[in-house]
Amino acid sequence: MVGLVILVYAAVAAFELWLWAERPWQKVLLYLVLFAGATTLAVLPVLNPDLKVPEPLGFLEKLLKRLWQKGGSV
Amino acid sequence: MREHVPDDQGMILVLLFVVGNALVFGLGGVAGPDIWLAFLTATVMALPMILLMARVRSLMQGAALYSGLEQVFGKWPSRGLALVYALYAWRLSCFVVSDVSNFVQAIALPNTPKVVVASILALLMLWAAKEGVEVLARFAVVMSKVVFAVLLVTFILLLSVANPAEFLPVMYDGAKPVFLGAFQLLDVPFLEVVVLFWVFDCFSSKRSPFKVFVPGFLSAALILLVMTSTSLAVVGADWYSVFYFPIWTAVKRINVLTMRLEAIVGVTFAIGSFLKMAVCLLAASRCVTYAFGFSDYRFVVTPLALAVIPGSQWLITTLMEVEKSAIKTYPTSATIYQVVLPVVFWVVAEIRVAKARHQGKGG
Repeated sequence: MVGLVILVYAAVAAFELWLWAERPWQKVLLYLVLFAGATTLAVLPVLNPDLKVPEPLGFLEKLLKRLWQKGGSV
Repeated sequence: MREHVPDDQGMILVLLFVVGNALVFGLGGVAGPDIWLAFLTATVMALPMILLMARVRSLMQGAALYSGLEQVFGKWPSRGLALVYALYAWRLSCFVVSDVSNFVQAIALPNTPKVVVASILALLMLWAAKEGVEVLARFAVVMSKVVFAVLLVTFILLLSVANPAEFLPVMYDGAKPVFLGAFQLLDVPFLEVVVLFWVFDCFSSKRSPFKVFVPGFLSAALILLVMTSTSLAVVGADWYSVFYFPIWTAVKRINVLTMRLEAIVGVTFAIGSFLKMAVCLLAASRCVTYAFGFSDYRFVVTPLALAVIPGSQWLITTLMEVEKSAIKTYPTSATIYQVVLPVVFWVVAEIRVAKARHQGKGG
């Protein structure tokens, strides 16, 4: 399944790159990086269906909750 | 290439973006019979933020978005900010796709995997985002006629089964539920308008941002207020927060010539959601390319749209989570994206523009 997902994403990327009239390396690089990110995102939940969603601002939420419970005093 | 959207088309785009996928969910259900008060409170609370966004845009003196941002904030801060909002817009498009795929699975296609619906939606929004904001705004104008007609017919028919006594007694539980409902509405969908800040490239005049954002937002708030309040009057305050899709349930109770009319509400949901997800993808693409110093955004639309498919399956997995995300009371991330950053943004813009004016007069 993982192989199939990677193959599909790679095929779409290759096909679209082939359609481009010009391929400046900066654009190609950003495009490939974003495609690699999309592929990783597609593969991770296949490998681990219970994968937790990252919460980059989770610490802030916890801190606010703690402050709220303590009535504003740390 | 500068993309120019006339004021009236921009206003309709804002309206449909706000109404978008919000129409079928039990928005502000925590307010109970005081839902109309929650809507009014949320509108009053959101309006300063909408005015603030329009003000920042008008400070750019008619410049295209990114050159205007660089004039006002400088190159690197604006690029950093664009990257932050790219993430927000992409996440929002994942949420909308997830909402639609869960809705379709619950209502119409229970045996179809959600990823199939999400893939079709991703392809659609990919196409729309590649066409650009001008096409999206024209599409919004054309489809708004359908949406308004459907909503008007639905509203009139709902009146035949509505019970105004459901709104009584007013504020029986005090002001707390009203404010909780208002905060729910601020997060989804009122202050999601912040995404549109990154979509409009240039406006007709310095006053145009006000003419686009303010009437568009107020009309959308009015439509949502009328439709949700009428639904609550049909299904009852207690049941309104129990159903996943209260408007859908309310419309089911209309019985005209033995026809089931709820499918026509699905039409407005489909149009609004499509527009919203396309606008979010467009905003994410524009922000990413600007953050990395490119002027053309179309080449990153495909990877971002294909990232939305797994994102929509991963960030929200079940219908319960969809509902939870639609009616949660103001999480930290929303506060940062929708309130803190725009306010900081506005203060910095005012200071820098005032300084520049002062220096201009001095020199």
